[in-house]
Amino acid sequence: MITLAKSSTEKDLLSHLSAEKTALEIKNLDLYYGDKQALFDVSMKIPKGKVTAFIGPSGCGKSTLLRCINRMNDLVDICRVDGNIALQGTNIYDKSVDVAALRRRVGMVFQRPNPFPKSIYENVVYGLRLQGIKDRRTLDEAAENSLRSAALWNEVKDRLHDNAFGLSGGQQQRLVIARAVAIDPEILLLDEPTSALDPISTLTIEELITELKEKFTVVIVTHNMQQAARVSDQTAFMYMGKLIEYSDTNTLFTTPTQKQTEDYITGRYG
Amino acid sequence: MDRDLSNTLQADQKRVIKDKLVKYCITSGGALVLVTLLLIFAYLLYVVLPIFAPVSIAAQKEFSYQSNGNVLALGLDEQNDIAYQISDDGKLSFYSLRSKELGNLLLEESMLSEYSAFAKTSATSNAYIFANSQGQALIFKPEFETSYPDDIRLITPEIIYPFGAEKLQIDAQAHKITAVSFEFGEEGAAIAAVTDDKRGIYLALTATEDMMTEELVWQQEVVALPSLPNQIEQMLLSPDLKNLFVRSNNDLLVYDVSDIENIRVKSALAINALDANVTDMQLLTGASSLIVANDNGVISQWFEVLQDNKRTFTFIRDFKASAKVTSITPEYFRKGFLSTDQQGYLSVFHTTGATQLLNEKLSSSENMQVAISPRANALLLADDSRLRLFSIDNEHPEITWSALWQKVWYEGYPEPKYLWQSTSASDDFEAKMSLVPISFGTIKAAFYAMLFAVPIAISAAIYTAYFMSAGIRSYIKPTVEIMEALPTVILGFLAGLWLAPLIENQLPGIILLIISLPLSVLATALAWGALPKQIKESIPEGYHPLILIPILLLVGYASMSFSSTLELWLFNGDTRMYLTNELGINFDQRNSLVVGIAMGFAVIPTIFSIAEDAIFSVPKSLTMGSLALGATPWQTLAKVVILTASPGIFSAVMMGAGRAIGETMIVLMATGNTPIMDWNIFEGMRSLSANIAVEMPESEVGSSHYRVLFLAAFVLFIFTFFFNTVAEFVRQRLREKYSSL
Repeated sequence: MITLAKSSTEKDLLSHLSAEKTALEIKNLDLYYGDKQALFDVSMKIPKGKVTAFIGPSGCGKSTLLRCINRMNDLVDICRVDGNIALQGTNIYDKSVDVAALRRRVGMVFQRPNPFPKSIYENVVYGLRLQGIKDRRTLDEAAENSLRSAALWNEVKDRLHDNAFGLSGGQQQRLVIARAVAIDPEILLLDEPTSALDPISTLTIEELITELKEKFTVVIVTHNMQQAARVSDQTAFMYMGKLIEYSDTNTLFTTPTQKQTEDYITGRYG
Repeated sequence: MDRDLSNTLQADQKRVIKDKLVKYCITSGGALVLVTLLLIFAYLLYVVLPIFAPVSIAAQKEFSYQSNGNVLALGLDEQNDIAYQISDDGKLSFYSLRSKELGNLLLEESMLSEYSAFAKTSATSNAYIFANSQGQALIFKPEFETSYPDDIRLITPEIIYPFGAEKLQIDAQAHKITAVSFEFGEEGAAIAAVTDDKRGIYLALTATEDMMTEELVWQQEVVALPSLPNQIEQMLLSPDLKNLFVRSNNDLLVYDVSDIENIRVKSALAINALDANVTDMQLLTGASSLIVANDNGVISQWFEVLQDNKRTFTFIRDFKASAKVTSITPEYFRKGFLSTDQQGYLSVFHTTGATQLLNEKLSSSENMQVAISPRANALLLADDSRLRLFSIDNEHPEITWSALWQKVWYEGYPEPKYLWQSTSASDDFEAKMSLVPISFGTIKAAFYAMLFAVPIAISAAIYTAYFMSAGIRSYIKPTVEIMEALPTVILGFLAGLWLAPLIENQLPGIILLIISLPLSVLATALAWGALPKQIKESIPEGYHPLILIPILLLVGYASMSFSSTLELWLFNGDTRMYLTNELGINFDQRNSLVVGIAMGFAVIPTIFSIAEDAIFSVPKSLTMGSLALGATPWQTLAKVVILTASPGIFSAVMMGAGRAIGETMIVLMATGNTPIMDWNIFEGMRSLSANIAVEMPESEVGSSHYRVLFLAAFVLFIFTFFFNTVAEFVRQRLREKYSSL
């Protein structure tokens, strides 16, 4: 009962987060792919400077929810969104919002490393060049800083102008993270960033995520519960398009309030 | 189940057989393709190589004869069976060259034992003239009669006296004739002579047919030649009886004798080479070119060139023999000639090829005489009472590297030019077989086609692959690809018979169309953006580009109907005249614009299809990655998609270029096939492929023309080979750089 009480305070903490501590607020979000509804009335607040993990079985809508945050779902013709996602008080689905500007503030890293067919350096400064930054020194500085924050600098500093495809899978994923970090977003969305990587690279990325939260709000989707437990501060469990439970990671994994959560984390499905 | 554990390491027999069968089938299939390709290559080379084969000469037969004086002239019959010689004792003797009776004297007749001048006509007329000191002349012609007794060819020599066996009185005052020249023309003949008291005589002989006896009656007309030089070495009458060339040492006087009432000196010029003296001059067949030999071995070619509205004899080019040239012998039907020199060397030259084809020492005698057979396949040589017959292998003297690829100064042209004109109605025509204009035509046609096709095809590919909704794409792509199956003969037919007259009549409209179509597309797009939302949503997602169809049709119709008004306003009512007169741009009805559009149309599906595949296969993860970094769709397209698809787009363009270069029917039907070298879009061209298609049926197998056409095919082969190799090379490099898979 004591644990239950604690968990409820944690939950309260998340739902009563003050405005300056909130990075993102999702309110009553419904999402449809054509006639099929994929997200049902999702509401949550994502705290600033923390790592939030979305977990759940395949097809539960955790990646869809993540893609709503930087409107990547717009690329799907038949996708329709109702509800509200507020980034510092502004609804990102408002007409006046420029999608490209939004994505500059909400960066994203995908499952598989997807470096561009360019040099390592050009990959990192790609986002800056898009914004019309041409000054060589600014670019060089940004490249070094981002590669350092992605823990890649020492490995690639001597071959910055080599093709990015020469890197290993883990290095490529860190390069992609550096690329996302280079444009200095507020929120970094990681969509199963280690699912295509070997265990050692996975470990490196996980360590990196912990470092990244110093500077950025990180939202990570993972189907690896241990990973969620290792890297995240709070975890949201989703099932069949609904947010079932959202609380402090420790609480969620030790004393889930919902039966479905418990079934999932104890491995009964998923 | 029936296989036990002990033999599971053995392979399954059936599987092994199938494996091997497939392996051999595929290997042999691939090998056959390569072998076929090599065979085509080898066959082309087999046909082409003889034109570059060096000239060879080989001694065949020789015999000695009773020496009865020096040789004045030699000759051969067409079959190289009988030789004749005219010696300085005035005798014409025929000798057999047949192996069985080699050297037998077949016929000998004394012409004129006492003579003061001797001359021969051009090789085609093949007549000789003796003149004596009584002002008389005798003209005769060695001839060969072919009969087939017992179905065996028998050639018998005979002597023809065209003006009777009696001597012709040239000079009424019966003075000694010191120089003479004679020539048959088309309707008559003429004799030019000079007497010892320095009078020039021009005697025109015109034939009229006697109505009763049907015999030719020759009428004579004599006029005096004005302003003759003191000393005369040589006189030559051209076979068209228009020019008389009189050489006095190194100076040449050209008389215009075309009008017997008004014979005058047309030009006077020095024709010797620098620091040398002229030894001989001869007219080449066709009588346009004068070949002048010098005592320092230089042989020069001269012909009339139109300069400042006046035809003047101009030095054209030099040939080099090894020593003092003693005689020049033109070939019968080609623009080639032989020269002999003091050291006994024989040289073979051709004027179009501008080269010495052969230089070989054949005699030790200083005064050897040579004659070439009418078919130019044998050479008769007389020296030291000996007659020798050589066979000459010189099939394609006019085709040399320089004649094919460099500017050549052809007879009658004002300057050296690249020209293709393989045949003409006249026999003594100089074939002009430069591959430059037709290679140029190929490149020009391909260039304009690509200019039309590449922007359209690539932008269509980008739109279809990157922006178009999947539903429409599944219709558009196969439709465009079906265009590729359209027979090019139909495209060519439409281009030549429908589009070409349309463009000619509606030129301002067409130009307006080219400008207004892209503009109206942009305008429509802008207008669409400004439309209220309700209207936009009434059209299903992704189908809005279809609105363009009626708009484009309307704009097209409007431009075309505006054409005549525009023509009236801007071009005084006739665009063609305006272009030609005001701007100096020639306009052909079948021009590069027509070819560009028609061939562009044929090339678009190739480029579109490959480029679209390349763009479509750019991984979505890259697009997403770029968009997620805050790029707009256009930034993503320009910086990631096109870059990644560039190897594919590049090979699409190169494939299109390869197709445009090899394309035949469209260029054949939609251009005037005029082998001109001009980038003007309103003029036609002739491409390598169309040239082969047009001329191959009419070329004689094994002739120079035939082989040059094969060479054109070979060049085309090299062109496409080159393009494909470059394309493949660049594509590999790009792929290495931008591969992302």
